[in-house]
Formats: sequence, C-alpha cells, structure tokens
Amino acid sequence: MATWPRNFLFAALVGGVLASAAPAAAQAAPPSGCQTCHGDQAQPALAAPARDFAGTDVHRDRGFTCVDCHGGNPNETDKAKAKAPATGFKGKPAGQMVIAVCSRCHSDAALMRKYAPKQRVDQAVEYATSVHGQQLAKGDTKVATCVSCHGAHGVRLVGDAQSPVYVLNVATTCTKCHADADRMKGYMLPDGSPLPTDQRAKYEKSVHHAAMVKGNDLSAPTCNDCHGNHGAAPPGVGAIANVCGTCHTVFATKFALSTHSQIFDRSCVECHGNHDIAEPTDAMLGTDKAALCTNCHTEGDNGSKAATAMRSEIEKLKEAISHSQALVASAENAGMEMGEQSLALREAANQLTLARTEMHAFDPKPVSAVLQAGLGITAKVDSEGQAALAEVSYRRTGLAVSLGAILLVVVALALKIRSLRA
Amino acid sequence: MVTRRNFLDRLLALGFVSTAVSILYPVWRYIIPPAAAEPATDSVIAGKIAEFKPNTGALVKFGTKPAILVRTSDGQFKAFNAVCTHLECTVQYKAETSQIWCACHNGLYDLSGSVVSGPPPRPLEVFKVNLRGEPGQEDVVISRA
Amino acid sequence: MTEQLFAWLDERLDLSGLRAFVAEKTVPVHRHSVWYYMGGITLFLVGVQVATGILLLLYYRPSASEAYESVQFIVSQVEFGWLIRNLHSWSANLLILMAFVHLFSTFFLRAYRKPRELTWITGVLLLFIMMGFGFSGYLLPWNELAFFATKVGTGIAGALPFVGDFMVRFLRGGDDVTGATLTRFYGIHVAILPAMTTALLGTHLLLIQRQGMSVPPSVEKREKAGETIPQEPFFPNYVLHDVMWWYVALAVLAALALFLPWELGKKADAFAAVPAGIRPEWYFLAMFQTLKLIPSHVLGFEGEMLGVMGFNVAAVLLFLVPFLDRKNPDGRQNPFITFAGVVAVVYLIVFTIYGYLAA
Repeated sequence: MATWPRNFLFAALVGGVLASAAPAAAQAAPPSGCQTCHGDQAQPALAAPARDFAGTDVHRDRGFTCVDCHGGNPNETDKAKAKAPATGFKGKPAGQMVIAVCSRCHSDAALMRKYAPKQRVDQAVEYATSVHGQQLAKGDTKVATCVSCHGAHGVRLVGDAQSPVYVLNVATTCTKCHADADRMKGYMLPDGSPLPTDQRAKYEKSVHHAAMVKGNDLSAPTCNDCHGNHGAAPPGVGAIANVCGTCHTVFATKFALSTHSQIFDRSCVECHGNHDIAEPTDAMLGTDKAALCTNCHTEGDNGSKAATAMRSEIEKLKEAISHSQALVASAENAGMEMGEQSLALREAANQLTLARTEMHAFDPKPVSAVLQAGLGITAKVDSEGQAALAEVSYRRTGLAVSLGAILLVVVALALKIRSLRA
Repeated sequence: MVTRRNFLDRLLALGFVSTAVSILYPVWRYIIPPAAAEPATDSVIAGKIAEFKPNTGALVKFGTKPAILVRTSDGQFKAFNAVCTHLECTVQYKAETSQIWCACHNGLYDLSGSVVSGPPPRPLEVFKVNLRGEPGQEDVVISRA
Repeated sequence: MTEQLFAWLDERLDLSGLRAFVAEKTVPVHRHSVWYYMGGITLFLVGVQVATGILLLLYYRPSASEAYESVQFIVSQVEFGWLIRNLHSWSANLLILMAFVHLFSTFFLRAYRKPRELTWITGVLLLFIMMGFGFSGYLLPWNELAFFATKVGTGIAGALPFVGDFMVRFLRGGDDVTGATLTRFYGIHVAILPAMTTALLGTHLLLIQRQGMSVPPSVEKREKAGETIPQEPFFPNYVLHDVMWWYVALAVLAALALFLPWELGKKADAFAAVPAGIRPEWYFLAMFQTLKLIPSHVLGFEGEMLGVMGFNVAAVLLFLVPFLDRKNPDGRQNPFITFAGVVAVVYLIVFTIYGYLAA
C-alpha cells in the first residue's frame, strides 16, 4: 500500500513527458513556405492549390510536397528567392510539361514499386498514342493531359468514389470537354465529319449506362472501356468487334463466322449503334418494318429469306414457352406438382437465349437446331402438363361421383322423412 | 318382395356407406406419408456421396430452381444457385478449367461463385453443403446458407 | 354379442335411460321449423373444420420460411391434400355464413327470450370466435394476399383509444407482421380458439338440451290460446332431418371444391409492393368498407377510431339484445327490435357487396 503513491507519481511523470513529446514528433514536417504564402492569397486560382493539396491527396499522403512537381525552395520566405531559377522552379506545368512532370515518377517502375507495386507505368507511352497525345505533339494545347482528368491538387485514387476518374464519374469527366460544342469545334472524325458532342446524351440512353447506374453493375462499360483511358481514341474500323468482344465474347465469335463480318465496316455498330446501344430485341431481326435487315436486304434475296426463317422460328419457341408456362401455371394452381416442368421450361428459355446468340452468325441452320431443341422441351412439358390436367379432371370426377352419392342420400333422406310423417 | 319402404332403407344404407367410403378413403390416403417426406424449402438431398466424382458438377432441383453441386478435384463439395445472374440461363461445370460456365454468353464463375469474366453482374448465390449419415454412405445435403 | 356389449355398457353408463330420453324427446313442428336446422348445419361445419384442421396439422409448418411451402406440399405432394385444404377453406367460409344465418334466424324468431339469454350470449361469443378463426387461419398459408390483409386487419386495432398500440403489438407479436405473427396466429388458431370453442359450444348445446327448442312468439301465442302445437319425435324424424341438412351442406362443400378450387397464390414477401385489390375475407368486408368511408376526422376525433368504437358498441348491443328487447305494455312484440335487425341485415349485405365492387 505504501509504495502505491510513489509508483503512481512515477507513472504520471513518465506519461507527462511522453505526452509533451508527442506533438513535436507529429510536427516533423512544418508547413512549407509555399503553402503559407499561397494559402493567404486573395486570388482563388493562387489559393486553391494550397487548400486542395492540404485536403485528401494521394501524393501528400505519401509524403510528397509542392516542390516535387513545381520545384522552388519551400524554406525561403522571400517570394523572389523561393522561385529563383537556381531552385529549379517550374511554375504551373502546361502541355507536354504536365506529362513530363507526372511521368517523371509514374513511368519509373523502380520508384512506383515502392508506392504501388501493382500499378502500371506505361501511361505516358499510352498517352502518346492517344488522340489527345498526338494532338498535343502537334502543338494543340486544348487537349486533355493527365491533370484534365485526374486533377492536379487533391488527386484521389481511381477507386475513390469522389475521384473524377472513378467508374461512375468517367462519363462526366470526359464530357466536361466532349459535350462542349465550342471546345470541340474544328475537330474531325477520321471520315472528315465534325466530331459530335452528343455522346454523353446518347450513352445515357444505352443499356450499358442503365446496367451501371440502375443495375449497380460497376463492370458495365463507360467511355474508357471501349476507347481506352490513357490511350483514348475511337476503336477504329476493324477493331470494333474485338472491343465489343472483350465482354460479348460469344457474339464476337459467332459474328466472325458470318459473311457480315467481311462486309460490315463498323461490325457490331452497324446494327446496335455505338454510344446509344439499346436493349436488343427480336424485332431487330426479320423483314417487317421494325427490323434492321431490310436496311440492306430486299424481299426475296437470300438474306431476307434467312432473316424471316430465323425470326419466325424464334417467335415459335417464344409462343411455345409462354403456352407451356400458362399450362404449367394452371396445373400448379389446381394443386399439381410441376417443379420438374418449371425446371424444363427454364431450359427451354436457355435455348431461346442461345438461339439469339447463335443468330449472330446469320446462318439459319444452327439457329434452327437450337430452337428445335427448345421446342422439343416445350412439347414434352406440354404433354406432361396435359397429363397433369387430366389427372386433375380425374380427381374431379371422383369428387363429382361422391357429390352424386351425397345428393342421393339427401333425396333418400327427404323421402324417408316424408314416409315417417305419413 | 321389396316394399317401397324397404327399398328406401336400402337406398339410404347404400348412400351412407358410399359417402362414408368417399370420405374415409381420401382421409386414409392423406394420412399415408407421401413419397417426398417433407417440402424441399431450405434444403435438399442431392444424392449419395459416391455418386459425385471429383472434378465434376451436377445440377440438382432445389425448390423451383436448379442448383449446381460441384465436387472439386480435392474432393470438397460446393453448391451454388445454378441460375446465371446475367440472363438466368442455367450454368454448368467446366471440368477443363474447374470453373462454372454459362453457355449463353460465356459468363465464367470461379468455385467461390465470383465472376471471373463475361457479362454476369453479380456472383452466384452460394449454398451450404453438408454430409449426413454413415461414413461412405453419406447423403449430400444442399441448404440455403 | 351386440346385446351383451350393450348390456355391459348399460350397467355402467345407464344407456337405456338415455335411450328412453331420446325416444321420448319431441320437437315442435310449425312453419318456421326450417330455421332450427341452421344451428345444426353450423355445428356440422364445425365438425368438418375440426376434422380437416387436424388432418392439415399433420403436414403444416408454422414458420415464415416453411408455411407457404408446406401448404404447397400439402396440395401438390400429399394425396388428396388438395381436397382436405379445399374443404377446410370452403367449410370455414360456409361456417361463418351459416353462423350469421343462425344468429339472424334466432334473432327474428326471438329465440333469445327468457330463459334463453345465456344461449344467445354464448352463441354471439361463438360467432366472434369463428370470425377469429377465420382471421387467424387466413394468414397461415403465408401468401401475399393474406400477409397484406393481416397487416391491414391488425393495423385497425391501432385505432382503439389508449390500448391501440398495445393491441397491435400484442396481435402481431411485434411491431410488424412477421414470422412471429404467423407463429402467434397458429397458436391462437389451433389451441386457444379451439379450447374456447369447446367450452362455449358445450355450454351452448347443454343449454339447448336443458331448455328444449324455443318456439316463435306467434306459435307461443297460439299455444297459450289453447291450441296444441304438433310435435315430432326427436328420433328418428328430427335427427334424420338434421342429417339431411348436413348432407346438403356436404354437397355444397363438395360442389365448391369441385368447381371453385381454392388457390394458393404467391408466397408472402414483406418487401414486395402491396398488390392491388387487398381486401379482407368477405365477413370482414362490410366493416372494412365502413372504415374506408368514414372521413379521417369527425368532430375532432379520428374517424377510424370512431368506426372501431362503433363496432365495439354494436358488439355490446348484440350481447345485450335479450335484455334490451322489452315487450310493449300490451304484450305485443317490440317493433323497434325487428326494425334494428332488418337494418343490420341490409347494412351487412349492402356494404359487403359494395366492398366487393369498390375493390
């Protein structure tokens, strides 16, 4: 008991010393001269870098400071001396300078390995192949550089939902420039037509956008999934099927088998469009008004015959499936166990989906084979469904017979009662 | 000689007996345990352990939907909802790559149900697999996790 | 052999006394006699409910994850399960209909007159219990319609002043309709209500047996004027008549199961949108429709609360009918009671139909 106060005193003493030492350690990096001066600037453009860099910034978090990109001497309090040429002061990098500043580290595999070992280091090389990079090389300074998309101060990781290059923000970031008609004036597509500015509006109508925004599927494509990110450019004639095929592999394989693959300049895009890809429907196939085949094919030619054949068979299976479904539902409602048949109908629906895939080879034969398999399933389900309904009516016959017996008793009882009274 | 009264009594007796039969017969049949002893709601017996060879997959009816039971190369059992999360095709086991594969649009899942490649937006729903019974004769039971 | 058995039992149970009693027992015959059989039909349907209910218990599982599937199992996998379930559902509806007919026939024939007040009160209680059976049983298949109807139905209890919130929680076994509600309703449906029914129905039948059949006032008057009212033997005439009516009820049941099979619907999903056309079973429809018509606020009170209180007052009045019906000083029947009864019947019929058409 007697030693307790002394021990306590000791502990308090040590604790106090440690506590007073801690803030000093945390303040190992005192605010640099750059941030002190720029933070006080009245002009927003001069104050913003200091403020943004003080917030969330992937570079600051890893110990980088202003001078790592801008040069200069942060320990100098005099403005002129801090930015003297001898300090290597670069000012605000622009154009090719941006690429140089960023790639000084980002293209250095040995350096990057220390911070982000899995990160690629070929962004500058890719950028040089992009339309942005090529235009920049020609001296066009309106084009996007690293900072246009990633920001300069307050740079966030790609996976950070607030980053301008986070999956959900890519379309907004790209169209900051690409939806701006004034800015895009004078730029041409390879075919010589003016560069459109409606890509975002069209993309927002697309099935891809819906999958990402409504379906919460972050793997759904946005701008960079087809155009590339650092090497951004239109996929170009001949490459479209490959680009779409990165996700839609089966379709690309089937399409490659078709004659269309040799005729269509823009392969998939010919029928599906590019930015405004709508949910594909069976109505796209065939020779009626809504169908796309008639854009090239005329009535009676081989293509139109094939289209009609494939479409009518697809419709046949669809009808067969919905007919079987109704049958199964009515049998189920009547208390029959139709689990096997429900499963079989799923398989028939599989065949329908497969036929729609197979159709991209534009050859009616394999499509028909798949659909026939589906029709075989529905025919079997139908006969089992009919058997189930027959069983239901058999049960009902039994019930009707007992109803007859019951009514017989009623009549007999009525007569009996009358005879008792008589 | 059958009098009217006598006839009526016989008719009544016949009526009572036949209605009694038509009531008792269904009741008797109802009481007899049905082929499937209980509703397959949260679990289903896929079969005996010996029916499943390593590195194979089998489709099993689980309620109204198919489930896929996979026996991995090292003998482990895994089960998933066999409905592809893309367009609801039924997936299958691809022994060459030990993956679960959807033929409709080439969706690939690994043996934890996660999407490897292709259009599926979500992983497959994972079911639990338990072995029940005598060693060597176990039933493979799939149940909702 | 049978005689020996009878003799053996007779020594112990005084069966011959009972036989003599039955043989002597007579029942008055008059032009209103047909209404006597309504109670018998109701009793028969209670029997059907007990029998089919017990059979359903063999396979039914009272939990949110299994209830629907087990009913599906009963109708699709168990032999004649579809029939048993159909009979239970249809018989329940028919039972409540017949209970109402029985109630109003005794009402208009004034069978509740002294000394039969207790028979009336047990009868009214039994009617309410039957409605409780209907309400609790409706949820048990755990399908979408039942789920939402129960949500609305139990929610109405919340309109009661002071005890409303407690009642809702009490009925639902929690703040919302969940699996807990299902288990609770199951307990109520297969244990609590049957126990109450056994006691009340026993009393009800015992009272009828003790006091004999009531005769309508008009017949009673003739009797007092010295006329002899014809009687018929309880056995076999009345019993056969009763049995005939049971068979008629059985025929109606079989026909309903044959032509209008009861559907199972979709499994309840608490997160699904409320399906269109949610309405309670027909015997609650008149009340449901009335509550819908009452404006949300009347004279500063909540409309729904007033409605629910109104039903409670009506229920109390119904219990008190035997004590409220005072004959006019000249001995004539009180025309106001008849008038109130007619109004009640018309109200129930009109609002039930209105409820159907409005949904």
